[in-house]
Amino acid sequence: MNNKEDKILNSLAGLQKAAAPDFFYTRLLGRMQNESVPQQKQFFLLSPVFVGAVLFLVLILNVFSIVQLNKTPEQKVTVHSAGPASLQSFADAYNMNTALVYE
Amino acid sequence: MTEQELLYGLRNGEELAFKELVHQFQLSVFNTSLGLLQHSADAEDIAQEVFIQVYRSIKKFKEEAKLSTWIYKITVTKCLNHLRSKKRKKRFGFISSLFGNDNTPLYEPEEFNHPGIQLDKKEEAAILFKLVDQLPENQRTAFILNKVEELSYREIAAILNTSEPAVDALLQRAKQNLRKKINELPP
Repeated sequence: MNNKEDKILNSLAGLQKAAAPDFFYTRLLGRMQNESVPQQKQFFLLSPVFVGAVLFLVLILNVFSIVQLNKTPEQKVTVHSAGPASLQSFADAYNMNTALVYE
Repeated sequence: MTEQELLYGLRNGEELAFKELVHQFQLSVFNTSLGLLQHSADAEDIAQEVFIQVYRSIKKFKEEAKLSTWIYKITVTKCLNHLRSKKRKKRFGFISSLFGNDNTPLYEPEEFNHPGIQLDKKEEAAILFKLVDQLPENQRTAFILNKVEELSYREIAAILNTSEPAVDALLQRAKQNLRKKINELPP
């Protein structure tokens, strides 16, 4: 077993350096030239993330509006029914029914 | 060209100096990348990135260490980042795109055969590289720098920002782990 261990562990002895790929320098220069060309910056308003977020926001607003519109009639009824009654009771409590004086 | 002349030329954007830099360091950079990444095309890609990084940030090089140490540091960092990003992609299921309808992998990573290995040691070296790939990052880096690049403990310590005894400890642990893994191999 030790023989196998040593054989594997010592297998890198006498390792020669791998030659760099052919035309390495030429390819490197080509890449540098490509990377130095300024890439046209994408207008951020047209980026998919921004467009997606806006669409999602519009969708949320629509859903919210629909939910609110469906709720409104009930609320109006309660406001109308509660409104005059509470005003009347407020006026009674503070003796503000001044109209009686002129009757 | 001396290191000072090379640095002067690079800082002034001279193409001749850059060509000389690539000529002087391409073997070290490529072989370190090859040892760590165990993939020829990736190693070439990273080697190119290293020289681009050196070219762009040469003005930030403060000469506190040797130029070769700085270049090795950039190489090791880039290789480890590349390996981490590869691992991350695997973890998050990108690899699933490589599967066909019958769930069999379309791409199997081939066994790495270093081109500089002696023919009679090829099989053992392939096993060793496979096991080295399973070592923790710092042990793997120290092992490759020592065994492939044949750097001294002092040079490795400078590259890894650590002390020589720490490098020795890393290499001892790497060997222990490798022995353990070899013993776990099927006969």
